[in-house]
Amino acid sequence: MIRLRDVNKTYKGNVVALRDMSIDIAKQEFVFVVGPTGSGKSTLIRLLIKEEKPDSGRIWVAGKDIGQLSSWKVPLLRRNIGCVFQDFKLLPSKTAYENVAFALEVIGRPPHVIRQQVPQVLDLVGLTKKRDHFPNEMSGGEQQRVSIARAFVNRPLILLADEPTGNLDPSTSVGIMRLLDRINRTGTTVVMSTHDSSIVDTMRRRVVELDRGVLVRDQARGVYGVNA
Amino acid sequence: MAVNLEYVFRETVSNLKRNVSMASAALLTVAVSLTLVGGALLVKKGVERATVQWRGNVELSIFMKADASQPESEAIDRQLKSMPEVKDYRYVSKPEAFEEFKKIFANEPDVRESLTVEQIPPSYRVVPREAEQTKIVGERFENTAGVFRVSYAKEEVDALVSVTNFLQIMLWGIAAVLLAAASLLILNTIRMAIFARRREVAVMKLVGATNWFIRIPFMLEGLLQGLVGAALAFGVVWIGRDLVQDRVAGARNDIQLFKQFLVTGPDVMTTGFVLLGVGVFVGTIGSALAVRRFLDV
Repeated sequence: MIRLRDVNKTYKGNVVALRDMSIDIAKQEFVFVVGPTGSGKSTLIRLLIKEEKPDSGRIWVAGKDIGQLSSWKVPLLRRNIGCVFQDFKLLPSKTAYENVAFALEVIGRPPHVIRQQVPQVLDLVGLTKKRDHFPNEMSGGEQQRVSIARAFVNRPLILLADEPTGNLDPSTSVGIMRLLDRINRTGTTVVMSTHDSSIVDTMRRRVVELDRGVLVRDQARGVYGVNA
Repeated sequence: MAVNLEYVFRETVSNLKRNVSMASAALLTVAVSLTLVGGALLVKKGVERATVQWRGNVELSIFMKADASQPESEAIDRQLKSMPEVKDYRYVSKPEAFEEFKKIFANEPDVRESLTVEQIPPSYRVVPREAEQTKIVGERFENTAGVFRVSYAKEEVDALVSVTNFLQIMLWGIAAVLLAAASLLILNTIRMAIFARRREVAVMKLVGATNWFIRIPFMLEGLLQGLVGAALAFGVVWIGRDLVQDRVAGARNDIQLFKQFLVTGPDVMTTGFVLLGVGVFVGTIGSALAVRRFLDV
C-alpha cells in the first residue's frame, strides 16, 4: 500500500528530515512511527500526501508512484488518504456535522450522499448526540473524534495520524486508539506517529523507529522502548 | 467534476460580506475608471460623427474684403464657375453673413452691436469635388484682388480633433492608472478573503478538493466586483450622455460642429458592453493574480 525507496529529504539550513528511508507497508497494516521530536515522523506523513517532495528517492502510494503524479492529480491522491492531526484542524465556525460534511462537499459529493454518510460516520465515532455542537463546545477527545470522522467519511484506503493523542489525557487517548483500531479492522491501512509509549506497548503492533531521519528499528508486534 | 453551484454561490457571497469595505473600494474604483473610459469612447464616437459630416462636404470659405468692389466679386464668381474641381459653391451676402454673425453671438450683445452690416465680409462657400483638392482650390484665390482671407473647414475640424484627441488621451491615461489601481484593490480584497479563509483552504487541500474548486469562489468574487463596478459606470455614462446631449441640443443649435456632435443610444449601448467586458477582465486579472500568489494550491 505504501512503499518508500531511498527517500531523502533535507530542509533549508541542512536540517536532515529523512535519510535513505526505505519501507514497505502492506494493506490493512497498523504501523506506529516512533522517535523523538524532529526525527522525521511528520515529514514522512507530509511526503505521503505530497505536501512535500523528496529530494531523492521514490514513493508509491496505493500502487502509484506519486513522484510521477501531475499536480492536478494530487487532490485525487489525497481523497484516498485520511489525515488526522494533533491539533484537529477543525473549522471553528462549523458544527461537528458540518465539519464532516464539508470534507465531502468540497470533493463534489452530491447532497444525498452527504446526508447518508455523515450520520453513519458520526455514529461510528460515537458523536451522534453532539452532531450540532461547535468545536469549542466539545472536549479534546470529542474534537479528535470529529477529525477522525472527517478523515474517514470518504472511506480512504489509508489513514495517516500525526500524534493524534498528543493533546489528550491517557484515558481519552485509549478511546481514540480503540476507534483507530476499529477503522483498521474495516480494512484501512493506518500509519500513526506517536510519542506515547503506553499506547504502543499496549497495542503491540508493528513499530518503526526513526532517529534523526534514519530508520533505526522496524519490529513486528513491537513496543516503544528499544530493548523491551 | 461537477462544481456545486450552491456551494460556490454561498462562499462567494460570504466572502463579499466579510470584506464589504474593501470590496466597495475596489468596486467604486472600477466604476470611476470605467466611467472615464466610457466618456473617452463616447467623445471619440461624437467627434467621428461630427467630422464625418464635414469630410463628405469639405468646405472652404473665401472671405471678401468688406469693401471689395462689384467687379472683383464677379471675377471670383466667374472663376469658381469655370473650375472643374469645384463641385458647388454659394455666395453668402453681407446681410446673410450679418445674420449668421448675430446668431453666433446671440448671447453677447456687446460683440453683436460692435459691427454693422457694412463691416461684415461677404464670402463664397465652396464645395470641391475631392477633399484633396480643397487646398489647391483655395490657394488660387489667396492673392486675388478683393479677397480678404481663405479659410478651410478642414483646419477648424483639425483643431477640434486635436483638442478632443488631447482630451481623450488624458481620459485614457487617468483611466489606465485607475484601472491598474482597481486591479490591485481587487487583488488585495481577494487576498484578505483568502487569509480569512485560510483554515478552510487548508482543510480543503487536505481532504482533496481540486485546485479549481478552491479557486473558483475567490475568482468569482473578483469578477463580480469588476462586473458590478462596470455596471455602475454603464449607468453613469448613460445618464451623463443624456445630460450632455440635452445641453448641446438646447444651446448653440446653429453651430454646425456641435449640432453634429451626436452620440446615439446604440453608441452608448456598445460602449456599455465594452465597459462590462473591461470590468470583467480587470476583475479576473486581479483575482487570478491573487489566487496565484496567495493561494498555494
